[in-house]
Amino acid sequence: MGFDNLTIIGERINPGFRSVAALFDNDDIAGIQALAVRQAEAGAAYLNVNCGRRSLTDPDFLRRVIEAIQDVVDVPLSFDFPNAGVQELCLNVYDFDKAGGRKPIVNSIAQTRLDMFALTRICPFKVILMASERVEEGVGRSNRTAGEIHETARQLIEAAHQSTGSFEMDDFIIDVSISTMAADRDGLTRMALDGIGLIGSDPALKGVHIMGGLSNIGQQMPARAADGSPLGQKLENAFLTDAVPLGFDFLLGTPWKDYAPLGDDDYVLKTFREVIALSGMDALRATRRLYRAG
Amino acid sequence: MTTLKEDYVASIADMDEDKALEITQQLIDAGEAPMEILGLCRSAMEIVGQRFEQEEYFLPELMMAGDILEQIGALVRPLMDANSEGSGQTVHGTVLIGTVHGDLHDIGKNIVTFMLELNGFKVIDLGIDVSTKAFLDAIAANKPDIVGLSGFLTLAFDAMKETLDAFDDAGIRNNFKVMIGGGQVDDQILKFTGADAFGINAMEAVNLCRKWTGVAA
Repeated sequence: MGFDNLTIIGERINPGFRSVAALFDNDDIAGIQALAVRQAEAGAAYLNVNCGRRSLTDPDFLRRVIEAIQDVVDVPLSFDFPNAGVQELCLNVYDFDKAGGRKPIVNSIAQTRLDMFALTRICPFKVILMASERVEEGVGRSNRTAGEIHETARQLIEAAHQSTGSFEMDDFIIDVSISTMAADRDGLTRMALDGIGLIGSDPALKGVHIMGGLSNIGQQMPARAADGSPLGQKLENAFLTDAVPLGFDFLLGTPWKDYAPLGDDDYVLKTFREVIALSGMDALRATRRLYRAG
Repeated sequence: MTTLKEDYVASIADMDEDKALEITQQLIDAGEAPMEILGLCRSAMEIVGQRFEQEEYFLPELMMAGDILEQIGALVRPLMDANSEGSGQTVHGTVLIGTVHGDLHDIGKNIVTFMLELNGFKVIDLGIDVSTKAFLDAIAANKPDIVGLSGFLTLAFDAMKETLDAFDDAGIRNNFKVMIGGGQVDDQILKFTGADAFGINAMEAVNLCRKWTGVAA
């Protein structure tokens, strides 16, 4: 692990990963347990649990998965369902004793579903707050500036404090959302980094955590960078190299990946920094240089 | 020896923006019909699409080609408006698109929107976390030829099915085609939701819309 103070929420228990989908299709609880153990042993501080559609249609299965995971690991869980009913089931099943008394994470609450703060009636929890979207005139909208991300984070925390729940700043994990660079004509990666900077330096938000899921960043691009290195992994590390010093301290990721800072002379990091300084066609041209020489 | 038109198609397909715009102006100055120029652009986009499918090109190239076409369109469309009344902007059809309720992801939807507009479709984008009622209201107001339901989360598949069920309940399901996309969609999800087709990338969405609206390949 190359970054100090970077907490990993293991992302692998999710049928969205093709290699994992079969475990869910076949009710392979032992396989899911093995995946939980592997992530915990690799350093995950939390395990994200996403059962896909079955979380809505098969509550008994969801219950069995949570209990089975807690039978084999003592790390707290992160329940990844944007649905109050499913979260209610998860929080009721969650065994604090098996997690050493540590709180689970509700993943996630956005301005479009503030009623989920009321889930604290079941038990205390940490919560991932989606700062990438806001509600405007009753409609959910994606944020397009770092200032909007920062403001949304502040509003979400204010809403949490005004709810019936009792939250400490340490309970808030602000998700800034990290976009696919291959489609980033609008400077969204720059926006995420600037948003992290604003949140990380805001005295009113002191003590909160800042996170994002990195697996999107290298999507829709080839496997290898122009210098022959693994492009996806390098892009994830390039982002972390610049984000961690700004306050980014939680990562939804794969714990056995080699997350480590890149040197300033690294080809992918240098090109990454060129790309995020640009927008429009210029950004796309620079993005091509990540994987196309010349 | 290649002709100017062959050079033109190649310049767009090879992402040579400066050359593409230079030849566009040459063709305009030479009196080439605007529709002929746009036809050459379509040929270039087919090459780009093929290279994308063969993994020679990736998403950045797809978007760059789209951007080049936008610039060419800005040069050519005023001539069409001036020369042929009412035929300036060919609209192949109207596509209503949105990310279904419970899902806030919009990157894939935005790319599809972008590519559809470039390919001559009028796109009405309802945004993210779109309720079933919002879809029904927008369909009543806009009478789309195609509805696109986007969702990245696996949970979005249920919202897609709910939305399609609402179309059924409202008795409007057969008034338009429905395509889904945005996440790990496959034949099983297609069957589950009851949509007409799915696309795993923006080019597939464009091809579906072209097929459904009878646009020549």
